[in-house]
Amino acid sequence: MSADQAALDALFSLTYEELHRLAQRVRRGEPGVSLSPTTLVNEAWLKLSATPAAANTSPLHFKRIAARAMRQVLVEAARRRQATKRGGRDAVHITLDQQAAPADASDNVIALHDALDRLALLAPRQAQLVESRYFGGLEVREAAELLGISESTALRDWRLARAWLARELQAAR
Amino acid sequence: MSEDPVATYWAQVQALFEAVMDLPPDDQLRELHERTVDTVLREEVIALLHADRGSAGLIDLPLEQVAARLIDDADGYRGRLVGPYRLQSLLGEGGMGVVYRAERDDVARPVAVKILRDAALSPARRARFLAERHTLAQLMHPAVAQLYDAGTLEDGTPWFAMEHVAGVPLDVYCTQHPLDLDARLALMERVCDAVQHAHEHAIVHRDLKPSNVLVTVTGEVKLLDFGIAKQLDAVSEEQGPARDAVTRSQLRLMTPAYAAPEQVRGETIGVYTDVYALGVMLYQLTAGRLPFDLSRSTPGEALTEIVEREPERVSAVAQRNTAAWVADVRRGQWDDLDLLCRTAMHKDAARRYRTVDALRRDLQHLRRGEPLEAHPDSLSYRAARFLRRRRQLVTLLGVVVLSLGAIGVASVRQITRARDAARAELHRRNELQQFLLALFSGNEHGAPPDSLRVLTVVERGERQAAMLERDPSVQGDLLVALARIQRALGRYDRADSLAQAGIVSLGRASDTLGIATALMTQADIRLEQALYPSADSLLDAALHMLPRNTTTSTNRSWLQGDRAAEVADAEARLQDLRGRRQVLQGHYDSARTTLDIARTRAQGRDADPMLVADILGDLADVAFYKGEHERADSLNRDVLARVQQHAGRFHPRVASTMVNIGATAFERGRYDEAERWFRDALAIAEQYFGTSHVQVASTRTMLGRALVYQNRLEEATEALQQALVVQEASVGRNHPSVASILNELGNVALRRGQLDSADNYFGRMAEVYSASNGDAHFTVAVALSNRGTVAMERKDLPAAERWFREVVQRFAAAQGAMHLNTGIARIKLGRALIRQRRWREGIAESEAGYEVVKAGAAPGVSFLQAARRDLAIAFDSLGQRETASRYRREAEQHDPPKP
Repeated sequence: MSADQAALDALFSLTYEELHRLAQRVRRGEPGVSLSPTTLVNEAWLKLSATPAAANTSPLHFKRIAARAMRQVLVEAARRRQATKRGGRDAVHITLDQQAAPADASDNVIALHDALDRLALLAPRQAQLVESRYFGGLEVREAAELLGISESTALRDWRLARAWLARELQAAR
Repeated sequence: MSEDPVATYWAQVQALFEAVMDLPPDDQLRELHERTVDTVLREEVIALLHADRGSAGLIDLPLEQVAARLIDDADGYRGRLVGPYRLQSLLGEGGMGVVYRAERDDVARPVAVKILRDAALSPARRARFLAERHTLAQLMHPAVAQLYDAGTLEDGTPWFAMEHVAGVPLDVYCTQHPLDLDARLALMERVCDAVQHAHEHAIVHRDLKPSNVLVTVTGEVKLLDFGIAKQLDAVSEEQGPARDAVTRSQLRLMTPAYAAPEQVRGETIGVYTDVYALGVMLYQLTAGRLPFDLSRSTPGEALTEIVEREPERVSAVAQRNTAAWVADVRRGQWDDLDLLCRTAMHKDAARRYRTVDALRRDLQHLRRGEPLEAHPDSLSYRAARFLRRRRQLVTLLGVVVLSLGAIGVASVRQITRARDAARAELHRRNELQQFLLALFSGNEHGAPPDSLRVLTVVERGERQAAMLERDPSVQGDLLVALARIQRALGRYDRADSLAQAGIVSLGRASDTLGIATALMTQADIRLEQALYPSADSLLDAALHMLPRNTTTSTNRSWLQGDRAAEVADAEARLQDLRGRRQVLQGHYDSARTTLDIARTRAQGRDADPMLVADILGDLADVAFYKGEHERADSLNRDVLARVQQHAGRFHPRVASTMVNIGATAFERGRYDEAERWFRDALAIAEQYFGTSHVQVASTRTMLGRALVYQNRLEEATEALQQALVVQEASVGRNHPSVASILNELGNVALRRGQLDSADNYFGRMAEVYSASNGDAHFTVAVALSNRGTVAMERKDLPAAERWFREVVQRFAAAQGAMHLNTGIARIKLGRALIRQRRWREGIAESEAGYEVVKAGAAPGVSFLQAARRDLAIAFDSLGQRETASRYRREAEQHDPPKP
């Protein structure tokens, strides 16, 4: 593992854990905590910025990593959920009704994740944009700065990417 | 980029999409037809425009809705079987993993099972989880939640099972119970015990806080969560920036309230970091609140607060408190509590309690109303402290010579080197100096060092050496020095791993000469354990390191002057070890050549005098084994003089040389002289190692033998019995060396006519050999043969016959029918038969044995003489006078000349 990778991995795991911690607080119903990505990532950054691990990281760079972490957290959660539902531990008890139930958030998240991976092959910039905005809660302005494009370009990119993903997700259904 | 067909295609799609996207749907189609004839491209854009108008599903939902639905299944493992454990209920979750209460299906005892969530996501998290597991595995303390079991699920998810602690967090416990100051301090003392235990394993917890300490209903304290604990002597495979990054980032989002200044600044953490956190906990438990209120601070403000601000005195905060216990605290106790907290939480890590144990002692002093060991941090105190340091430095040299110096000049040199380094870089190496002080003085307050058992000193040294990771070259030297000491103490496994650790440290310091020396130390240890091939390869590796290092510069400028001498010493040492290895394998002539080379290398200059003594001692061994007793004796006496001069008269090396001189005297039949040497050696060895040490036992055994030969059987029995007890205690009951003492004891009993006792000893001897060497081994037959001899002495001839028949079979099976031992056993069997007047059977066995022994031994040996006399009687009884007188004549020929 290179130094960069190691640092990235370290930062990623810190973020990942912070997201989980915040999610816990939301579940416990603590007031003033929300799972909106913007809030989550900002709170995580506030805490992280005080630690040495984040010393050489800009807030923007951090948010990008946090977006990736958020995506991973959700995808893993969705996968686990699917595994449980589709028979992991309670295989015997699954009824026909349950099997026929419509796709829920876990399927959607995984489908979106896969579609984003495909989009990244086609149009890396748009894929990055979606990840930052959707999973990282970045403002258009921040995302544009991160990708080195104008805000209007970012907006146009977003619209196209959204359309492309919507079509992909419909096809997957 | 533009040549990439995918990118080109996508650029076209985007251009078309953007050109028409804001038009009404009908216009969009027309416009598209005008702009392109490519139907595929057109269809693609049309589909996208359609999607653009509709819902995009998930993407249009706020993420928090999705997230709230998904990240709620920390409980998702419930009911699962993890290893042998059935997960029952969620106990808690952290960023790292989830913890479940679980039970084995077969044994209903609750355990806590921790599972790493999303193990595949990040190598760093996985590494940290495994590190926690490894840390727990090393710890075994009543106040540390213990690791029971560990494993990996099918999907690669690691887990471990640990003690399930039913309790409440320390701070909650203290608010729920009406505890007085003493009870609060007592709880903290137990927390200190647990942390000290971790430190003794070179583990720093780094996340000490009340919520990581549970108190059970019985008031027991359990330390939990080593999730970010750090192994201080951990050596990472990774080097350079990557390693630094990992080390730094291992700082979890620590709870700022308990974080030490060095922790928030991202500096090196150590034992002192835990001392700080314990100080904060003590503050909190007595003041009723944290020293700093960081709840509303931004991270930047928190950092300033922790690094710069002095907290309010704990006594002032506590006394504003209305809790009942506060009224009972005396004025002096408040002052001491203030001093204690201030010392533990000092901003300067170097001014905190040096160890958690020191903090614990002051907690105890405070409870007992004794003066604290901590001193007010005033100018006069600092001056006094500086002077005391100087004085201890001055006495250090004397201490070295007095106590540890006795172990070997080479070790002393290494320690001295470390001390010089400490002196040269006094300010930078505060840590090292503290180590040396702690190593050489019994405690921080100057108990006389010579009153300490060597082992205690060494064990303390080992603990502290682990803390020197910032200075690998000094750490390496110390580890190797400690390895030599352990080797001298006969603790080979420990010595070996210390040497290994030393090699690693010196490797980190790129100190080739140091590595070569360390490799030789390890080779020496392996030689002692008869691990010859591995000793050989270590010596080869050392040789490989040697010639190149003369030009290698190290960062130890203070070493340069001695460097040439050190290299020459190392070369001589290498040859000496090679020579010793040849001696041990019985290649005496080549050993002598090798050792002569070593001796030449170590001559005519300022060589290490103990090295010269070692070489001469090995040459004496060569002479001894070659039967050149005179030469062996004079060499050994030379060695003795040198060792006494350089290591003092009470050094274990003096004792072992005396044993060698005694052994030579023994071989020359001077049993009284041998006895005196053995007794002198014994006195020194006992003084040095205590009475229960292997070397003491073996010296006592030799003393016993010398007494047997002087026919002082009662004294011999006593010496041998003492040796037996010690030997059994040190190597276990089923070790061949125990059997060998039993053999001596049996023979003495036999000679004293104590036949029951003799039979008993030989019976045990057979059992021990059977257990250690295997039942088929010839040594078992030796023991049973002795039982046959006892039966002969009892005139129980049928029993003797049975023993010897079995012995003949065993020897034949183990060593072959033509082996000397088989022959001797047949002669003995023959005698048992002849005494029963079974002449023909007796003659058959005796003659068969006679032929075997005659082929392999000198014609006058006692067994042949015995056979001749037995055969003469048997043939006489059968009336075969001629054959009888032939044997009788032969026997007379070989009788020793009469005076």
